[in-house]
Formats: sequence, C-alpha cells, structure tokens
Amino acid sequence: MFDKRLLIVSGKGGVGKSAVAGAIAIEAARRGLQVLAMGLTDPVGIAGHLAAPHAGYEPLQVRPGISLVVIDRARALDEYLKLQLRVPKMAPTGQLTRALNLLVDTAPGVREIISIGKPVYEVWKDRWDLVVVDAPALGQLRSYLRAPETIAGLVPAGAVREQAASIGRTLADPAIAGLVLVTTPAELPVVETLESLHDLDADAPIEVSRIVANRVLEPLDVDRDRLAEVPDGPARAAALLHLDMVEDQRRWLARLPEGIRLPFLFGTLTPEEVAARLSEELGAER
Amino acid sequence: MTSHRTRTIVVTGAGGVGKTTLSAAMAIVAAEEGARALVLTVDPARRLADALGVGLLGNEPVEVTDHPGLWAAMLDVTASWESVIHHYAEPDVADRLLDNPFFRAIADRFPAAQAFAASEEMAQLIESGAWDVLIVDTPPSGGGIDFFLAPRRTGDLVGGKLLLWLTGARLPARRALYRITARPMLRLADTVLGGPLLEEIAEFLLDLRTMYDGLRTRARTIERHLRRATTIVVTTSDPTPLREARRFFEELTGVEVVPELVLFNRALPTEWVTAADRPIRGVPDAELRSALKTNLRRWGAEAARQQAARREFSNRYRVDPTTVPWLPTPPATMVELGALVRHSERLVDLVRRGT
Repeated sequence: MFDKRLLIVSGKGGVGKSAVAGAIAIEAARRGLQVLAMGLTDPVGIAGHLAAPHAGYEPLQVRPGISLVVIDRARALDEYLKLQLRVPKMAPTGQLTRALNLLVDTAPGVREIISIGKPVYEVWKDRWDLVVVDAPALGQLRSYLRAPETIAGLVPAGAVREQAASIGRTLADPAIAGLVLVTTPAELPVVETLESLHDLDADAPIEVSRIVANRVLEPLDVDRDRLAEVPDGPARAAALLHLDMVEDQRRWLARLPEGIRLPFLFGTLTPEEVAARLSEELGAER
Repeated sequence: MTSHRTRTIVVTGAGGVGKTTLSAAMAIVAAEEGARALVLTVDPARRLADALGVGLLGNEPVEVTDHPGLWAAMLDVTASWESVIHHYAEPDVADRLLDNPFFRAIADRFPAAQAFAASEEMAQLIESGAWDVLIVDTPPSGGGIDFFLAPRRTGDLVGGKLLLWLTGARLPARRALYRITARPMLRLADTVLGGPLLEEIAEFLLDLRTMYDGLRTRARTIERHLRRATTIVVTTSDPTPLREARRFFEELTGVEVVPELVLFNRALPTEWVTAADRPIRGVPDAELRSALKTNLRRWGAEAARQQAARREFSNRYRVDPTTVPWLPTPPATMVELGALVRHSERLVDLVRRGT
C-alpha cells in the first residue's frame, strides 16, 4: 500500500481509523516519503494523532516528512470554484461562495465532490509522494466515493460534471488510489466492513488496498480449565474476560479477509503515543 | 390527546457504543416491570434482532413472542418520508416529489433525513398513546446530535433560504423559476454547475415549499415531544465517543434538551485499577500466578484509563457517571440483556418511573 499515491482510511465509527491513518503517515515518512496527512471531515482526529495543535487549510509541516491539512468546507468550495472550475477572477467569489454553500447542502453529491476533490487535487499537484486521508466513517463514505457518479446522474453537462468525472477516474485507478478499511474484531464492525466490501465490489469506485483489524488481543497463556482452581477476584475475572474476548475476536477475525492485525493497547496513552505504537506494527508492510 | 401517558426515553450517542443493545435491554426491563413497552430501533445487529425474536422489522410495531408487553419496531426511513409527504403535500405534488431524484437522494442518503424520519416516527408512536414506555434508539449521525436538530433543520430546508436566493421571492410562484437565469449571480452559477441542476433543485424546493406550513408546525410538535422526553447519552470511556458525547452538553442548548444520564458502557470494574498491586492469594502455582498478575496489570491499566476519562467528563459537565459492565461478547439472550440494565439501580429506576 505504500506504493500508492493516495490512501483513504475509513471504518465504522470508534474503531480507531484516525489512529491508523496517523500511523500510516508516520510509517510512510519513516521510509523517506513526503507525506500529506489530511482530515476530511474531522478537524481533530488525525491532527491529535500527529500531535499537531494547529492544523488549517494550508499544508503545514508537523514533523519531518509529514505535512497536515484539515479541510475547511468554505475554503474548499472557494478553491473548487477558482482553481478547478476556473470561475473568472472578477466574479464576486465571496458572495457566490456563500450562496453556493446553501446549494451545496441541498444538491446531492456536490458537497461530497468538493471534499473528496481536495485530496485528489493534492495528488494531481505532484508535490507529495503519498496523501493519507482520515475519511468519514463507513456509513458516509459511500456517498463520498459515489459522488462523481451521483453528479453524472444529475448534471448532463458542464464543468462540475467534467471535474467530477476526472476525480472519479483518479480514485478508481488502482495504480494511484487505495482504500484502507479499519475494523475491530467484533460483530458490528466486522459485519459492516463485509457489507461495505460487498458494495464496493459492485460499483468499484476505488480499490480496497488493505483491511486492518485494530485492537486485536494477544492470546493469554493460561489454560481455561486451570481457572477453576483460582479463587474469585479480579485476577480470575480479568483472565476470564481476556480468554472470552480472544475467543470472540477469533470468530470475527475468521470472517475477515487477510489483512493487517494491530494490537489492543492497554492503559493510558496519548493519541500521539497510540499512532507511534501502531506505526511500528506497520514496519513489515509493503 | 393521550400522549401524556407515554414516557419516552431517547437513547443517543456515537456509533458503536452499544445504544441499540441498551435500548432493547431497557425496553425488556420496562416490560418485565409490567409496562407496555416499545423499542424503536435503528438497524439492530443480527444477534440482537435474533435475541428479540424478531426478524424483519418495519415501522409497524411487532409484539415480541413470549414476552408480554414488549414490542419492537425498526425505523424505515424511506417509508417514513413517504408517509410525511403524503400527509403534507397535495396528491399531485406528492407524486412529483416522490419521483424526484433529489427527493430520493435526500431520503436515502442524507443523515439529517434519517434523523428527521426517526423523530417523526417517535412522535407518531407517542401520539398513538398505545404504550406506557417508548424507548427510542437514535441514528448515529453527528454523534446522535442530528436527531435533536432534525426538526429545525428540516424546517430550514423547506423554509428555503436557498429557494429565496434562487427565485428572489418570498412565496414564489412556479413561473418565478424562469427568472433564474436572468439574475447575474445565477447566470454564473448556472455556467459552473450546469443549468438543469439549478432548475431541478429549484423545482424540487418549490414542491417541497408547498409543505412548509405543515412541516413547520410538525417540527415544533416534534421538538416539544423531545423536550418532554428523558435523554440518555451512551458512550464508552474511549476518546472518540467521549468527544461526541461532549457535544450534547455544548451544542444542544438551543433546543433545550438536557441529558438526564450519561451511561458509560463497557466499563471495567474500578477495583481492577489497584488489584495488581496486591498479591494474588490462593494460587500456589507460581507460573500461573505470574501469568494472572501480568494479565491483571494490563487490564488494571485499562481500567485506570477508563476511570480517569469518566472522572474528567463527569467533573466537567457535572454528571453522575453511571456504568454498564464490559461483557466479552454482546448479550445474546433476553435474560442477558435484562441483566445489563439491572446492573445499574439508577437505570432500573429510570425505566420504572414510566410504569
């Protein structure tokens, strides 16, 4: 996956996708790539994992090899109008942007194309080796990835449609873009991931590069039968919880396709520490 | 009007924190306590649907087999919107709206539309007066907050700042549409976006606009139901859901909804925090003892992290933290579900007040 130019990281809410996106950025930079990390809708997530207090719409270098951008919708719309659609300079863009903002909220696909367009423009600029996107949760991801198609269905011709089509082509090119799906080995996240894989298989807006199972527990080297001789108390309860969870996780892991396994991190860690620890686990990935 | 008899508990929070499971569990306990209880769920996991003994649910409540007094329904967003449109729009407008690609796109994809459908279903169930307790599981969009803002936002959409901008008239006639391309700004937007898109949006909004008065009044009624309901915010002690939970205290002031309870799900026992500092007794085998100790130390660290996160949150927002224990696997039977709620007296009280 590190040979791609654009990695979009998504997953069910709460599975740790921002942490994984941060970890991918850190590991890519360690390999000497110039990385742009981007928060698509969440202004806090990936910024926290990269320990960047100030993130804005202009790329800001936050550590060697990693720059960070957080999408601001008004600015993205502005950029979209000026640079991408080549709206004449004399146009009162401020006023137009304000008015179009309302339209963007109503017309399906327009808001999404503006957001998903930003990382694609950054790839086109050729300034970065890799753009890593902390994308919205699985539930919303579909409308982002399908935005080019949605727009094609609504607008028969025009600049928006052409723009949307080229964004769609870049996303669909497996030599350029890939999707990283993060999950945890539990019922709902796994079921949702499998459903998404099924959907993505049908319309193939982007190649699925990796499935990441996050928070996987190590097996506990204690035989369940021997717990019978351990008196009731925290030690026994914690061991039982661990054994039961490992068993449940194993069941859901078995339903997932091959992929990356990242460990459950116990205890108090800052977002920065979490991303750093997870990035170490990515060392063996291609 | 019989709505005063239904006690409504709205269960909200980020996705993946266990809202749907806890909603079902509360309804089970309410029914066990003798109430006629209904849970309105959003997309339950297979295992939960099986536990409730209901297969394919829809907006129409179904009584759960072998559990007198317990009913379940599942939100059908498209069906809800269709019923709203048929109720508030003239027949020919309704047909046109239902055929319109924007309406389809909005009803199928937009999180706010799902939230509005959920709040509308909730209102209808309250107004039917058929249940003593109604437990509403909310869609996860916006960390659950969209549900509370949906009535207002829907009013805004239909009320139409955009429409005003497109047509320049307060209550535009249909032919006002044709003035669109006459306005300079719109001519520009038109070139950029492609003419038919603007026109179709305007047409759609004009049709939607005919429902304005009806929907606006409805939105106010729904907001009133929401203010009377008891709101429970479910979260885990993890940073992401906690960040979403904060929004209920910081962003909901405009609609006068104050969460009555913050429920921390998947909580580890607090005694684990210090348990690893004490010797493990009654285990003669040194190797086993050491393995148990290592394991307890790790889980103790996790319990400490959780406790600190709960404290920080509770102090900041002055809430009394209520916890639900971490189970290795989600509860799969009615008994296990009920036990989850009965673990907390506070929660049982809250459910019981409605009986």
